[in-house]
Amino acid sequence: MLRLLPSHVVAAPAPRPLATVDPARGDALIRAEGLTKTFGEFTAVAGIDFAVERGEAFGFLGPNGAGKSSTMRMIACVAPITAGTLQILGMDPVTQGPTIRGRLGVVPQQDTLDLELTVRENLYIYGRYFGMSRAELRPKVEELIDFAQLTERADAKVEPLSGGMKRRLTIARSLINDPDILLLDEPTTGLDPQARHVLWDRLYRLKQQGVTLVLTTHYMDEAEQLCDRLVVMDSGRIVAEGSPLHLIGEHSTREVAELRFPPGENAAAAERLAGMLDGASERAEVLPDRVLLYVADGERAVARAHEQGLSPVSSLVRRSTLEDVFLRLTGRSLVD
Amino acid sequence: MLDTPRRGVRTTGLRPRMRVVEYQMYVGRRIWRSVFVVSVLQPLAYVVALGVGLGAIIDTGGHHPLGVSYIQFVAPAFLTAAALQIAAADASYPIMAGFKWIRTFHGMAATPLTPAQICDGQLIFVAIRIALNSAVYLAIMAAFGGTQRWAVLLTVPIATLTAMAFAAPIAALAATIEREGNAFNMVFRFVVTPMFLFSGTFYPISELPHWGQWLAWVTPLWHGTDLARGVAIGGLGAGAAIVHLAYLLAWLVAGVALARWRFCVRVTR
Ligand SMILES: Nc1ncnc2c1ncn2[C@@H]1O[C@H](COP(=O)(O)OP(=O)(O)OP(=O)(O)O)[C@@H](O)[C@H]1O
Ligand SMILES: [Mg+2]
Repeated sequence: MLRLLPSHVVAAPAPRPLATVDPARGDALIRAEGLTKTFGEFTAVAGIDFAVERGEAFGFLGPNGAGKSSTMRMIACVAPITAGTLQILGMDPVTQGPTIRGRLGVVPQQDTLDLELTVRENLYIYGRYFGMSRAELRPKVEELIDFAQLTERADAKVEPLSGGMKRRLTIARSLINDPDILLLDEPTTGLDPQARHVLWDRLYRLKQQGVTLVLTTHYMDEAEQLCDRLVVMDSGRIVAEGSPLHLIGEHSTREVAELRFPPGENAAAAERLAGMLDGASERAEVLPDRVLLYVADGERAVARAHEQGLSPVSSLVRRSTLEDVFLRLTGRSLVD
Repeated sequence: MLDTPRRGVRTTGLRPRMRVVEYQMYVGRRIWRSVFVVSVLQPLAYVVALGVGLGAIIDTGGHHPLGVSYIQFVAPAFLTAAALQIAAADASYPIMAGFKWIRTFHGMAATPLTPAQICDGQLIFVAIRIALNSAVYLAIMAAFGGTQRWAVLLTVPIATLTAMAFAAPIAALAATIEREGNAFNMVFRFVVTPMFLFSGTFYPISELPHWGQWLAWVTPLWHGTDLARGVAIGGLGAGAAIVHLAYLLAWLVAGVALARWRFCVRVTR
């Protein structure tokens, strides 16, 4: 069959009663119910439910404007919530904002480093905002310079550092207070592939150390690499939730055959290809420049296309990714 | 153990505010030399050009039409007016930059610091700078015979209060405007400079027409100038002094409340 519009939206987890900490359920560090954020008439976050457990790497995957940053700023106890409930570390952001913020690490989407100060000074000053003493900070700052792999640049101003270095410094800075939860809003957006891999390595290391990570991204490979569990967001709503593997298993097929036809011929080809698919589980998707066949066996699908007398300019078979899940759920691609 | 706050984090009182001051001192470390040079050259220029130069014409033949030498008359007013101008400058572009370009305040807002503490800390930093600057000013005035008694030392806190009474609402404006700082040019051109000319800096406001005096009464600068001049050369009644102080404090309290509110709106949006 041809692609259906998002046929079913996975229901958010059943609402759980609010409790400070319920040992029977494991201690959720973040618990949100009906979390909503509006700007005037506009609803940026439309009543979402989620919970993040200790030690987990939890992700928000979604395209531009999905409401990821708005959600992160509420979790960071920076922006007030409009409606719903939000509990962080068992506390209420409205009444205990400063205490909660004292135990969070925040990597905002846009860096807030002081470009005129050195790497070391940026770390030191930020620690002071958390009320840390000079003596406490001295070893901590050195440790973090090392973590950020900025030893050579420790006493250089931040201004001329590369984007990747600045981002590593921002992440190092967010760890100054040994946070219980690390919030990362698009940690690698705008970086070149190599810089991204260095950053992923740093984040993976934190994850191994048991730091609870909450991150947003619109890169499906980042979500697959780092997240134990994630929610897919679109237009302020959660449209799916689960582990990357679970989401792929539930919303996509094992393999994808990508067939590229000359411009203008893709739609017609898809029409013909759809006929040969197993209607229950397989489907075809038309993109402007190619046709995607969601099938169990990709090579066989390509072979059958040729048997039908279709001759794509090129073809390739790959495994399903979160990108396919997103396309399936929303009808749009993640990165536009 | 989920609700035990991180050890040692103090979220109220003066200390969190002083962290913001500490940050500004770090930034300022790199430029203090040039700041210091300006804060010496500016009073020198005023004192020599106006106090000494203009004074020579006004105080002809040892006769003092204003009761004291002209330099003694203008010195406390220069001190107060300079404090206000520098504070207004420090509360305008630098604070706007902290939201818009450097984004420092957004970074601070993600820590235990509250928007009100960030605002207060920033204003305390400006106040410290103004007090130091005024002390330098006063020393230079004294070197040129612009002072005659110990009470003149009070002009430093008076100038600082006057400056902050005006700088606090400027900080509120700086936290509000999103575009380039054209609003500041307007404030400097149409408020700060006229205020300097019409607040009894160079001559008593009794020389002004009636509407001019009314205008002067509204400005915080005239109240600060009259108060500073009063303690420096005498001749100010206790009642008038209290009115001046109360008026300046009212500006300060309202200005700080406004600035805290605008800081909060800006970082929590
Ligand atoms: N302060 C604000 N005032 C008005 N609208 C806002 C504000 N902040 C965000 N929005 C709007 O809310 C929507 C969600 O924005 P948000 O920044 O949360 O998205 P996002 O998922 O983080 O997107 P991106 O990938 O671009 O960072 C967008 O349409 C945005 O324009
Ligand atoms: Mg965002």
